Amino acid sequence: MYVKAVPPTDLNRNTEWFTYPGVWTTYMLMVFMSWLIVLSLFGCSPGMAWTIVHLAHFLITYHFFHWKKGTPFADDQGIYNGLTWWEQIENGKQLTRNRKFLTVVPVVLYLIASHTTDYQNPMLFFNTLAVFVLVVAKFPHMHKVRIFGINADH
Amino acid sequence: MIAIPYLAALTTYFSYGLLFAFGQIRDFFRKILDWSGSNNLQGYAPICVAHEDFYVRRLYLRIQDCFGRPITSAPDAWFDVVERYSNDNNKTLKRTTNISRCLNLGSYNYLGFAAADEYCTPRVIESLRKYSPSTCSSRVDAGTTALHNELEKCVADFVGKPAAIVFGMGYVTNSAILPVLIGKGGLIISDSLNHNSIVNGARGSGATIRVFQHNTPSHLEEVLREQLAEGQPRTHRPWKKIMVIVEGIYSMEGDLCKLPEIIAICKKYKAYIYLDEAHSIGAVGKTGKGVCELLGVDTADVDIMMGTFTKSFGSCGGYIAGSKELIQYLKYTCPAHLYATSISPPAAEQIKSSIKVILGEDGSNRGPQKLAQIRENSNFFRSELQKMGFEVIGDDDSPVVPIMLYNPAKIPAFSRECLKQNVAVVMVAFPATPLLLARVRVCISASHTKEDLVKALKVFDQVGDLVGIKYFPAEPDKEQEEDKIVKLD
Repeated sequence: MYVKAVPPTDLNRNTEWFTYPGVWTTYMLMVFMSWLIVLSLFGCSPGMAWTIVHLAHFLITYHFFHWKKGTPFADDQGIYNGLTWWEQIENGKQLTRNRKFLTVVPVVLYLIASHTTDYQNPMLFFNTLAVFVLVVAKFPHMHKVRIFGINADH
Repeated sequence: MIAIPYLAALTTYFSYGLLFAFGQIRDFFRKILDWSGSNNLQGYAPICVAHEDFYVRRLYLRIQDCFGRPITSAPDAWFDVVERYSNDNNKTLKRTTNISRCLNLGSYNYLGFAAADEYCTPRVIESLRKYSPSTCSSRVDAGTTALHNELEKCVADFVGKPAAIVFGMGYVTNSAILPVLIGKGGLIISDSLNHNSIVNGARGSGATIRVFQHNTPSHLEEVLREQLAEGQPRTHRPWKKIMVIVEGIYSMEGDLCKLPEIIAICKKYKAYIYLDEAHSIGAVGKTGKGVCELLGVDTADVDIMMGTFTKSFGSCGGYIAGSKELIQYLKYTCPAHLYATSISPPAAEQIKSSIKVILGEDGSNRGPQKLAQIRENSNFFRSELQKMGFEVIGDDDSPVVPIMLYNPAKIPAFSRECLKQNVAVVMVAFPATPLLLARVRVCISASHTKEDLVKALKVFDQVGDLVGIKYFPAEPDKEQEEDKIVKLD
């Protein structure tokens, strides 16, 4: 089965890979695989495994999408050095399909995690905090906003 | 349009994700281990801010032995590659004195002028004796010799424009000319896969840059209409100048520009067009005059034609060809003309002599023979690879033949296996190409004989099976089909 790859018009090589076909499927498959791995490594209940996956997903995506700024190569000459990955994708255009997908994923994970743990504390508290932080960080109004100067440029 | 097998796309993303994760984990532990040790910065700022060297350190250095291989002979059809070894997992490479003679499928040697030529080389040595290796001056001071003037006239006649100006370096031609031609308040619309020199020149000019989808004239029209309606950013005043920049043959895709449609659109909306013929001048077209001749476009319709001499002419340097007024203007303003050293005289002589050979003015038939040979070679190679089931992109007649790999692990695998069988190929990966689309880029030359190409095909067949890159079904042999038909009777 073949898919067509149309070269996007995004010049930022740090983010243009996200516009090719197959990214969404890979993302979802990786989350599912990590759930299976956590389940087999720790031998915990499925609900606990989903909570662990959800919280690990929160930490990893928060760090790479909303904390780290700039690009991993130097020939951009630092023009994206003040922007996080989330602010760089699709040249800062808000509410595109990719952004909507990435906003929905933590919410879906939250629903699965809280459902499979039967909405018990303390897991519910951590899950809710995680999804709250992630979804607020992805709002269009939060574009280039640094609360209390956290993570601002030097 | 590249058709990726869906499974290959998924596994490629997963592989890059894994490599990225391992790089991050190693960086994390390196940070912890270095926390205790003192840094010897003494108050200076670090050279690399944040993680801008992450890709080079954690991904590129792992397969460093596939890039930058030193050679010790002229880059002819066969050349000598120095063997290297590494003691610390490819972080540093050490040269040995062993040399392997390999088939050269990577050099931009389209017409075979890279090695000694019976017409060009004696003349180049003669000019070396007469003019010495360097003019030791910029063009405006004392660096313009009779050779330079003859060369500019020769290039202008070859390309089909009234006048031309020649520079010592091809990359500099783009990055120093664009800031002079257009400035703040202008609009540059460039193809999404344009070369880095064009991107640099456009960024340096200060004009607003918009990108249109690769080789899609309809999208170019859409972008033009939108920008014309909006005007300059914030003030919405009309643009001072609009320039559309395209390339003749794209070096990573091997496909030709859709020049007639793009010129029609530019004429309709009164935008200038800048054509970069780095890979197509001298290599395509019936008499080697580039993509305009191949596609039947009148050179008067292209406002600025740029090209380099590195690929088909076996020399170095770049040129810009245009109207007399344009070239006169460039001679007053372009910094590469005013301050940079002029092109080396032996290099200029090589260009002149190779143009004479291509046009047949040296009295022999070698020029047209070379042109026919490269066309035949590229079409033969491309069709044979496609029959074997490889995914080859690019148009027919183009001497650049990229074969898609996709997965990052196949890049060093293909390169090393080919080198073991004495075939040297060039790999292209992220960030020169998009993340998913890593490829092997083969450059066919007129000096490749049929036996060379057949050997290369055999090696590719073997290595392709080993590495697993035959994404399309192979076509069955014609002989087998005929046998089957006979048996039914």
